[in-house]
Amino acid sequence: MQKLLYDRFSSKMYGVCLRYAENTEDANDVMQEGFIKVYKSLSKFRAEGSFEGWIRRIFVNTSIEHYRKKVKLYNVTEVQENTVEDNELDALDSLATKDILNIVNELSPGYKQVFNMHVVEGYSHKEIAELLGITEGTSKSQLARAKGVLKKIIEARSNS
Amino acid sequence: MQSFKNKLYNYEAPPPEEMWSNISPHLQNEKVVHLPAHKKPKRLYYLAIAAASLVIIFIGSLFFNNSKQTNSGENISSANKVISPEQMKDSIVLNQKILESIIHNPKEKEEIVSNDLQATNIPKKYITISGPEGQPVKISPKVATLIVSADHEFPPKPVWSKKIEKWKKIMLSSTVSPTSAGLADLIELASNSEKIE
Repeated sequence: MQKLLYDRFSSKMYGVCLRYAENTEDANDVMQEGFIKVYKSLSKFRAEGSFEGWIRRIFVNTSIEHYRKKVKLYNVTEVQENTVEDNELDALDSLATKDILNIVNELSPGYKQVFNMHVVEGYSHKEIAELLGITEGTSKSQLARAKGVLKKIIEARSNS
Repeated sequence: MQSFKNKLYNYEAPPPEEMWSNISPHLQNEKVVHLPAHKKPKRLYYLAIAAASLVIIFIGSLFFNNSKQTNSGENISSANKVISPEQMKDSIVLNQKILESIIHNPKEKEEIVSNDLQATNIPKKYITISGPEGQPVKISPKVATLIVSADHEFPPKPVWSKKIEKWKKIMLSSTVSPTSAGLADLIELASNSEKIE
């Protein structure tokens, strides 16, 4: 039963771990910790949403906890960022997943967390602020900066 | 952007082979947990409750309207049964005329007085009834007229008939002889009677 569950979700969840972690070693730690949490929390699953969504949330939270143990996040002064429209990142659509992941991994850890949580997982800035222990304004600023950096990386790649 | 997001969201990678062997020792003491059956989203329950409430309110309003119509219908019919405003007006006017004619007709008064004294050949314009103990109860000419006209029910005077029926009952148990001047007393007596009933 436990092995079946692992076999069913391990690849997907390891993908989540790799997206959030700074390196493979950290991803492995999060993967192990995440699955143990899943097994211990199975009785708390209320079946009010999809099981995969529930497991994914545990892994995202574990990734964030792991990240926060290593890095102290500071609220940044909220300044008006030059917003990057989503369509300016459309160039990423044509890339293979591995290449997209490599580009996102070039972001600093703080930017990457907020970018993954908001753009990929769909967390609101309020949720991100609560989970990362920052303000909503900081979350928005981090996201804007992350998009700006991504845009520059994409432009640099297209010029080279 | 959607495609880029989906690619990252669905990104999968095989974990290292030794991963399970690292995890499984931590699960030795874990009990097998049976996952609950997938529940229907709460939203569906709320929708069902809302729909049921609407149905109940709708049926309730239909029932309420029907009963209201029935009640109002009953009221109308019972009101019709008792008296219509026009009938009441006619009845009061007629009774008033009878009373006035008696009051302003000296001949009739004399007849009544004579009759009261003992004359037997004069048409009676009053009623003497026996009380519960056999005592005579005298009714004034004006009230007598009302009672007579009510008894004959011509012209129909439903309101007066009803009242007079009550007065009769009261008078049967009383030696008081009501007069037109004491009409208020009669009404009061009738009201008291109603309260007792």
